[in-house]
Amino acid sequence: MLALLLAIALIVASSVGATNVSWRAALSGDETARAILIGIRLPRALLAALVGATLAVAGVTFQTLLRNPLADPFILGVSGGAACGASIATAAGLARLPGVVPGIAFAGACGATAAVFLLARRREYTDPTRLLLSGLVLNAFFSAVILISFGVSRQSDLTAALRWMMGTLFGATWSDVVLLTVLLLIAMVTLATIGNDLRMLAFGEDDAKSRGVQVERVKVIGFITASIVTGAAVSVSGIIGFVGLLVPHLIRLIWRRDFRFLLPLCALGGGVLVVLADLLSRVVVTSSELPIGAFTAVLGVPFFLSLLRRNR
Amino acid sequence: MLALRDVSFEYEGAQAVDGITASFDRTQLIALTGPNGSGKSTLLKLVANVLAPRAGEIAFDGKRLRDWPAKEYAKQVAYLPQDPDPTFSMRAIDVVVSGRAPFLGRFAWESDSDYDEAEHALALCDAAHLGGRYLDEMSGGERKRVFLARVLAARPRLILLDEPLASLDISHVQQFSALLRDIVDRTGVTVIYATHDLNWAAAYSDRMLVMQRGSLARDAAPSEVMQPEVVRELFGFDAEAVAMGGRSWLVPKVEKSPS
Repeated sequence: MLALLLAIALIVASSVGATNVSWRAALSGDETARAILIGIRLPRALLAALVGATLAVAGVTFQTLLRNPLADPFILGVSGGAACGASIATAAGLARLPGVVPGIAFAGACGATAAVFLLARRREYTDPTRLLLSGLVLNAFFSAVILISFGVSRQSDLTAALRWMMGTLFGATWSDVVLLTVLLLIAMVTLATIGNDLRMLAFGEDDAKSRGVQVERVKVIGFITASIVTGAAVSVSGIIGFVGLLVPHLIRLIWRRDFRFLLPLCALGGGVLVVLADLLSRVVVTSSELPIGAFTAVLGVPFFLSLLRRNR
Repeated sequence: MLALRDVSFEYEGAQAVDGITASFDRTQLIALTGPNGSGKSTLLKLVANVLAPRAGEIAFDGKRLRDWPAKEYAKQVAYLPQDPDPTFSMRAIDVVVSGRAPFLGRFAWESDSDYDEAEHALALCDAAHLGGRYLDEMSGGERKRVFLARVLAARPRLILLDEPLASLDISHVQQFSALLRDIVDRTGVTVIYATHDLNWAAAYSDRMLVMQRGSLARDAAPSEVMQPEVVRELFGFDAEAVAMGGRSWLVPKVEKSPS
């Protein structure tokens, strides 16, 4: 059902936009329609689906690993690191060169993940509380750096940087789509191989260990996988909030709560939410684009609250 | 079945378990008691393969624990931590069937036979009717039954329970103790459970282990442990023995009766 919903959302999202073109025209050979639909709108809609899927998958993984319902993909400093990298690049006047901001953002995300991980690990044990605290503190540090870089950035660069920080899929390319597809597939296969073990962590680490789960290995693989894909998603789309936190809870409220079910369902649900949010961000005000992150919340929160009320 | 030889463990310099030697060969219900901080939980974790001993050796079926593949050992020995609490509420049947995890392959899902085992385990714990309910809709006593079914679902030969009677009211303590006795007698599994309730432990168990500051102070039949002088020595507790119903119960000595 979710897959069907995603397909419909993708078709609608690629059909609607500032210029009035139809898929029928594009398929019958209209060059302009083709350029707009296949060159611009389709990759953008697909990238929205991929980013949403990635964030939701990373979110459910962090919630499971940290045993914390408030965890989201950005909680361990991945987004902060990426935004920090991007804003430094902006301050240095590099933002206008193509590919620089995503590249540096990704490097920042990886750096932040590595830092959080090293801070939280001692005696070959990764402490979830220390992970959360390290992420929190690093995020605070990153916001400071971001504010300072903004202070020294040129006005014209600042607008682009701000738009990136609020999440945008403007200028999505097919190469972004291919890259993120590959990464997401690798991540999902990796997470599926440890799915049975991750699920057992729900009962606590001691319990999982006594059931033959190699807890440390599972935690390290899970954290690194989820962090890398989050970094990749953030570097192509900026920071889109709420998806990673909300979608896993939505899916849990509607279906079951076992990690192995949640993984594919969250991917589809996250895809649907961000495709629709991106569509709204483009059509609500036609003169400019509004931040997607605002619309993921606008769409997701009422739906979530109504489910919450109905369930209990 | 299980043999411990000189097993020791310390947490960052603090000795928690100190040179314990004991063996377990028959189907029995065994109560593990001792004052708070005497090392009961640590001992259970060592046998459950959650912690590795710093010194000494644990062997199961004559094979050292570290030579057992973790999943194979988990099929033989099941452990229930104190107060397990899944992050998100689950249906009881899903909780119980997760006890089958050691039997699952990497990508495998639970089969019908795993669910049959889970239902069988729930029935053994008088909890068949709870299968479809969510954990957060249950009373403390019902949750305990569900988690007991979870450790039974793997049909292990040895079950380790960390204070399963904690936070139960007096009638549930008795019911749960009787349930443990019944399960041991019916399935032939050996159960070691940590408890503070000496009277109930003595009434239902075959053997009592008493720990004191990390060492095994007594390993004896309940009747030997339930002596006022033994309890005074081990727990620092002044008690009188009262004979009733063919067994001896310990009641506290009250210095001054309230007037």
